[in-house]
Amino acid sequence: MSEPPDDLRDLDRRLRGIRFEPPTSFGAELAGRAARGESPPPAGRTGPHRALLVTAALAAGIAAVALGVPLVGRSKPVTIDRCCYDLDGGGAQDDGVRIVARRDAEVRRLWVYEDTDRSGDLTPEDIVRLERGADPSLAEAGGGGLVTIQRCCLDFDGGGPDDDGLLVVGVPPDRVLMAAIYERGDGPRRAGRPSHFRLR
Amino acid sequence: MSSPVRGTPPQDAPGTPAALCRGWYEAYGAAIYSYLRFHLPSPAQAEDLTADVFLRAVRAAGRFDPERGAARAWLFQIARNALRDYLRHERRHPHVSLGVLDDLRSEAPSPEERLLWKEEVGRLLTALSRLTAADQELIGLRYGSGLDTLEVAEILGLREPAVRTRLWRALGRLRRVLAP
Repeated sequence: MSEPPDDLRDLDRRLRGIRFEPPTSFGAELAGRAARGESPPPAGRTGPHRALLVTAALAAGIAAVALGVPLVGRSKPVTIDRCCYDLDGGGAQDDGVRIVARRDAEVRRLWVYEDTDRSGDLTPEDIVRLERGADPSLAEAGGGGLVTIQRCCLDFDGGGPDDDGLLVVGVPPDRVLMAAIYERGDGPRRAGRPSHFRLR
Repeated sequence: MSSPVRGTPPQDAPGTPAALCRGWYEAYGAAIYSYLRFHLPSPAQAEDLTADVFLRAVRAAGRFDPERGAARAWLFQIARNALRDYLRHERRHPHVSLGVLDDLRSEAPSPEERLLWKEEVGRLLTALSRLTAADQELIGLRYGSGLDTLEVAEILGLREPAVRTRLWRALGRLRRVLAP
């Protein structure tokens, strides 16, 4: 390896001296977690978020019981993974969407990802462009250049028929600010115009 | 060497998730932790994300193809993606406080020298956080993980001369940020 230029040698030397060390027991702890079959948290959610998610789930359960909402008998969530399209405006058909939804009903989680490992579905190696929960929301735009990308019609919610559309708003080539699905059903047949449909 | 207790399956039998995780961690855990720690303000966050990387890797082990590349490059690819996801969701801390550099290795003999070294590293990492994401990633891979430029080139899918050129430019920008 060649040496850095003279004027950067001191900085290079100081940076080379930096080394952080994990706790000595960390490897054994990790192996134990792997042995128990522990899963990594969803992308972008580590550490304190896990406690937050558990707390939120408990709170939602308590609220549901208090309000008399029946928790048993509702349809189980289904996971739909669709790949590969150009959903980030980058030009390549290498993006996918994974949706966890109640069958033919509301979306619970949604990821738009770049299928970097060409596996055809969301894997740990992929880059997550957008992750959202139950409600569609628009991330901060931070400038212009917004584009809308629409895919219709496929079964994005596990309902069976290919009657759902996918709407993505982003800034090419790699920013995704919003993604939602909508159901065409028997609604107005205006291809390319999802404005008449409720986003979810 | 003692034999395992009869009837208790050894957790680290070859091919089990625990053995896979332990093997990868022993080979690359320290480098990946230090790489992540270069970008994160506390040891706790670096531990969380390091665990995330290895648990993701264990789950994806069936898709790892040694013929397509070394485990090191594959694990660092997972680490880079995990870090990118994490930083996208977390508000980054613009300053590194001295109190959270307890995991910094120091061979300085005296407490005063160790304190000075922590101050120096805090200043370097604060300056690093003001560079572009691409510069931070490159510097983190080279100096955080301790990989040489050839290994960094393998991970980034670049030629080594290109990595060196980009690295020296990034260091030049870091030096300008550090300048009084």
